[in-house]
Amino acid sequence: MMQTLETDVLVVGGGATGAGCVRDLAMRGIRAVLVEKGDLTHGTTGRYHGLLHSGGRYVTKDPQSATECAHENVVLRRIMPHCLEDTSGFFVITPWDDPDYGDVFVANCRKTGVPVQEIPVAEALRREPALNPRISRVFEVPDAAADSFLATHSNALSAREHGALILTYHSVVDLLREGDRVVGAVVEDLRSGEHRPIRCAFVLNAAGAWAGKIAAMAGVTVTVIPGKGTMVAMNHRMVNTVINRCKLPADGDILVPIRTVAVIGTTDVHVPDPDVYGIEPDEIQFMLDEGEKLVPGFQHYRALRAWAGVRPLYKDQDVASDRDISRTYKLLDHEQRDGVAGLLSIVGGKWTTYRMMAQEAVDEIARKLGNTTPCRTHEELLPVPPTEAPGHQASATPRLMFWMGKPLADVEREHAYGDLICECELVTKARVQAAIDSGAANLDDVRRDVRMGMGPCQGGWCIYRTAALLFEQKQASGLTNANTNAALLHFLQERWKGLTPVLWGDQLRQARLDELIYVGLMGAHRLREHAEQGGGLVTDHPAVATEYVKA
Amino acid sequence: MHYDTIVIGAGLAGLMAALARAERGERVLLLAKGHGTTHWTSGCIDLLDAGDDPLAAIGRLAAEQPEHPYALAGTVALEQGLERLRAACEAAGYPLAGSPGRNVRLPTALGALRPTCLLPATMVAGEARQLADGRPTLIAGFHELRDFFPPLIAANLRDQGLHAEAAYLGLPPVERSHEFGPMIFARLFERTDFRAAIGEQLATLVRRGGYARVGLPAVLGVRRATEVVRDLQARAGALVFEIPTLPTSVPGVRLFQALHDAFLAAGGRVQLGSFVLRGEGAAATLTVIISEAAAREQRHRALRFVLATGGVAGGGLRADHTGVLQETALGLPVRAPGGPSEWFAPRFLDEAGHPIFRAGIAVDDQLRPLDAAGRVAYHNVAVAGSAIAGCDPIREGCLEGVAIATGWKAGLL
Amino acid sequence: MDHIELSLTQSLDHCIKCNICTSACPVAAVTDKFPGPKYVGPQAQRFRRAGQPVPDDSVDYCSGCRVCNQVCPTGVRIAELNARARAQIVAERGLPLRNALIARSELIGRLSCGPHAPLVNFGLGFKPARWAVDKVLGIHQDAPLPRASRSSFRAWFARRRRSLDARSPGTPAQPSRQVVYFHGCATNYYEPEVGKAAVAVLERNGFEVILAEQNCCGLPLLSNGAFADARKLHEANVRKLLPYVRRGIPVVGTSTSCTLTLKEEAPELLGLSSEEVHAVAAGTYDIFEFLRDLADRDQLNTEFRPVERRLPYHPPCQLRAHRIGRPVLDILALVPGLRLDESRNECCGIAGTYGLKREKYQIGMDVGAGLFAFVRGSGSDLALCDSETCRWQITHGTGVRSKHPIEILAEAYG
Repeated sequence: MMQTLETDVLVVGGGATGAGCVRDLAMRGIRAVLVEKGDLTHGTTGRYHGLLHSGGRYVTKDPQSATECAHENVVLRRIMPHCLEDTSGFFVITPWDDPDYGDVFVANCRKTGVPVQEIPVAEALRREPALNPRISRVFEVPDAAADSFLATHSNALSAREHGALILTYHSVVDLLREGDRVVGAVVEDLRSGEHRPIRCAFVLNAAGAWAGKIAAMAGVTVTVIPGKGTMVAMNHRMVNTVINRCKLPADGDILVPIRTVAVIGTTDVHVPDPDVYGIEPDEIQFMLDEGEKLVPGFQHYRALRAWAGVRPLYKDQDVASDRDISRTYKLLDHEQRDGVAGLLSIVGGKWTTYRMMAQEAVDEIARKLGNTTPCRTHEELLPVPPTEAPGHQASATPRLMFWMGKPLADVEREHAYGDLICECELVTKARVQAAIDSGAANLDDVRRDVRMGMGPCQGGWCIYRTAALLFEQKQASGLTNANTNAALLHFLQERWKGLTPVLWGDQLRQARLDELIYVGLMGAHRLREHAEQGGGLVTDHPAVATEYVKA
Repeated sequence: MHYDTIVIGAGLAGLMAALARAERGERVLLLAKGHGTTHWTSGCIDLLDAGDDPLAAIGRLAAEQPEHPYALAGTVALEQGLERLRAACEAAGYPLAGSPGRNVRLPTALGALRPTCLLPATMVAGEARQLADGRPTLIAGFHELRDFFPPLIAANLRDQGLHAEAAYLGLPPVERSHEFGPMIFARLFERTDFRAAIGEQLATLVRRGGYARVGLPAVLGVRRATEVVRDLQARAGALVFEIPTLPTSVPGVRLFQALHDAFLAAGGRVQLGSFVLRGEGAAATLTVIISEAAAREQRHRALRFVLATGGVAGGGLRADHTGVLQETALGLPVRAPGGPSEWFAPRFLDEAGHPIFRAGIAVDDQLRPLDAAGRVAYHNVAVAGSAIAGCDPIREGCLEGVAIATGWKAGLL
Repeated sequence: MDHIELSLTQSLDHCIKCNICTSACPVAAVTDKFPGPKYVGPQAQRFRRAGQPVPDDSVDYCSGCRVCNQVCPTGVRIAELNARARAQIVAERGLPLRNALIARSELIGRLSCGPHAPLVNFGLGFKPARWAVDKVLGIHQDAPLPRASRSSFRAWFARRRRSLDARSPGTPAQPSRQVVYFHGCATNYYEPEVGKAAVAVLERNGFEVILAEQNCCGLPLLSNGAFADARKLHEANVRKLLPYVRRGIPVVGTSTSCTLTLKEEAPELLGLSSEEVHAVAAGTYDIFEFLRDLADRDQLNTEFRPVERRLPYHPPCQLRAHRIGRPVLDILALVPGLRLDESRNECCGIAGTYGLKREKYQIGMDVGAGLFAFVRGSGSDLALCDSETCRWQITHGTGVRSKHPIEILAEAYG
């Protein structure tokens, strides 16, 4: 066992909430360590549709969550402009929706503080020509598109700048208890298999859908209902405004233009375990059908891939269905609740409210620690990670919000088109190298950092290129060709999982061409015997296995 | 215009069929949406990934799987087609080496060793048995070429017991500075000054490292590759061989050009950019095919037709989101395995491949398309290449072999 | 087929990133100022949207030759995506004066054509003048400009009609069939002999040639991104031609670029989908396409006298974009003794007005180098090509005279 690490607060979970917590702690001068069993955003944060909520979706069923979203919408626009695209959002009443809900919606927006304005249908159709012309009313709200990968990395970068330690690929294997108090945890470094104790005054459980599993290690019951939401990314943006159905929240009723794609979501299926779930063909078909109601011809657009995330719904009372569970969050002080000191859980909530959740949790811990430094996370601009294009980092404050053409403008300015490693998402060699340098433990991490492999060809060209660059860059520090082969095979399989639910038309053709490249031209399968996990990579570990199990 | 034969599809199968018919004195139109699978593949001729003797293995395969395209085409068509291809390549100054009775293994851009059968002379020195002679091999490339990475190739070759090292070469001064794809490099290599600068670097490396041979990305010239390789060998003082890059594959383009030129020399006509929408006919005879054109459709009449539009990758077969597979040009019946839930294996690199890619058009031993009941759908249509059901040419390692055998057979019928 | 029905923007969904277009692109082959059709086309398109600043410039180096469309195995309308992207740039930043000038071919033609043409031609042949035009306007001093004609084709046609009427007063024997001839700017102002040949050929086939009112097809404006002005021209042509099309009278043109614009470019790029626009598109033919249709129906007059010549022929990009094969080869093969050698070169490099521009002239010449070598290597003193700007470029690049194939066909009718 390695030497014990001492800190004030151990944050468990490297999603939006955990990263937000560790930043807030560090900015208040509280020593903090964050552990995450996979990469940052490996869990639900990296698997959501990318919507910065206006709050409109919740005004009727979940007014508190609506108000929280409306508040944080303003804050996040201020602190992370580089992660947000100001798409705006429409709530539209289609022929399949209750026309009377429109007035209820507006009234409830007013009550909950969600800015709303009805606009003429003609104007909406002029701005979004692909929209169903049969919609009867349109309400505009300040929805936006959010890059949750980038936002989490920005939070983590800020936390590091303020002295926090962030350990990815570190899985909590046990919580340390002394009497009625949790005094730390034992974590396993998945890269080396080594165990390491971390002693601290408080463990802050921000593990989202996995929070119940963490709490159970301290003998405490936290009921988190993993609510699986399946999403489909379409190859290009047929709309540039977030489109919501104006009705009570249901499946397949949001279309989010984010970066180069449009994401339709989501379903909501209760799954027993956040690590074990599949994507069912009827979920996909349902979303294509629902998409058709918003954008006629939707089924004929090219679907890129499908994925699912598990919502961390906290269940503290009897509710009729999981969709009825509040989207608001809750801070659980297990000393008061369960008589176990030194452990707090921050559960539930939305990506949009991650900062508010972090603030509330850290306020409570600071109070217990006697730290009186006020929270500043709502004021201080987040830094831009080095994986972004250089122009972005250098730009003077106040920074502009992200705009769709920016990656293209960056490449054009630098004449970097010959340097593109991922051509679909315009990722240059320099950015891939920065992602590798920032500690990527496999190619999927590089994907999350820079969107490598997320475009139409789903890695057809860039998986080979990125694997080879990884080898060239890390060879001196002990990474072997066998480790590289393992990374390549791992990522090919990662992509395949998300592809199979949407393989028809052009995407099936693409998959076959990719097979021609990797099986026919490259002979990647012939390197199986020459592949092994290691060299600082995690490519095959049960703790982070994300393989969807076919139900 | 009236043609004797119209061939739909400009991949290897279509080119072989078109060439065969044109050389019989027919008026032939080769009609295609665009360039074909040749541009994506290695430029080698894979016959079958099964042991050392592919021809013998094909014989056994044909006996075991009577509906396999190889069984339907027969080995005579395969061997004749291969001979004609070799002659076309020879005429283009781009000879192919190897023999149908022997598989060889060549390094890939990942450093894996893949089996193939006929290979361009420009790749011969990279054959695995030669690499295993104990003498060192240098794998060299360019930082500017993002489709080929020497260090990983060399390391993987070393893991397989071969003595290989890697180097990056400096780019000689040229007029461009931003963009260097495989075809750009291929054109640069046709310039003497460029080769001189590369040859000088190679000679230095060879002298220092005592390399017996140098593996370079397969970008050594478009139309004069054999000459380019010979010249580089002389300058480097070592054997030089090519390793295929990511697509576009320059050796694939060379194969296409050799056959395309032979077809034109035989009096054939090529029309690219034309998507075939449908056919018209009666009594199981196809009389007209209709292609998309500016403002109106174009009608093409012929006595017989060859459908060589490829499989899913080539665009001959297309699935919709409801799980229906269609043959895109003529709407012929498609034989597909089960529904979408049975189309894919859970693992991308599953040894058996994915069942969907065995889908295609069922044909008889005259390669005529069959309907669901096994009746001939059109008596004057032959199907060639990956459009035929019953084979996964990528997984079986027979992509080019099946294209040549069925394409040539369609040209003989 | 969904390939056809999907709109242009949706066609980017077909791209499987295979690089076939980029390997075939004649511009990307000679300069890396142009990153290639895949990059500027379906790839960049995923980053473009209305209402944001235009993010890219390099698409302006697309010559519009459409080789990419032709070789793309999946049906992406790359050239059209590029043309639209260029129009966005123009809409945001305005049309440079030079482009505004060279895109107005009708105006320039009208100003230079006439009795003063020798003077204009002298001026344009005068080195210092060209040097000044280069420096001031950015039109390359060596770029091929046509020689204005002393008399326009329309003026010739009107004179001829008057003299025919004078010779046989009263109603002449009505030919049973009529066609509208779309001459385009080049024939009218620079090369009336092409129009005269077309009239001769059509009359030999029993057609009465109608010279309907018409104006510039707008292609130079389209390819320079000036869509609003192009739209006015196209709508005017539709108004002028529609009455004939409605009566079943086909519109036949000798300029493959004008006919392609009427058929497809203008409607598609400008998003015009009215029934009238479609009717004119469907009623428009390239002249050799029209003649081939006659031949297919056994209605072509094939009483040719032998023309013992072997000539190099370049099928221009704009003809290939019709996607109708090689009608010139099909028809001229019927002329005894005449043999054409088809150029396999993708493009002559001029691409309408592209190769005139100072910054693109050399690119155009480099693109055309293969074709020039082919023409020179033929040893012929004459080359054939269906498109006027390509003919001027071929002559500029080789010193070999060039003609429209219809002129040879007219000769064959004697």
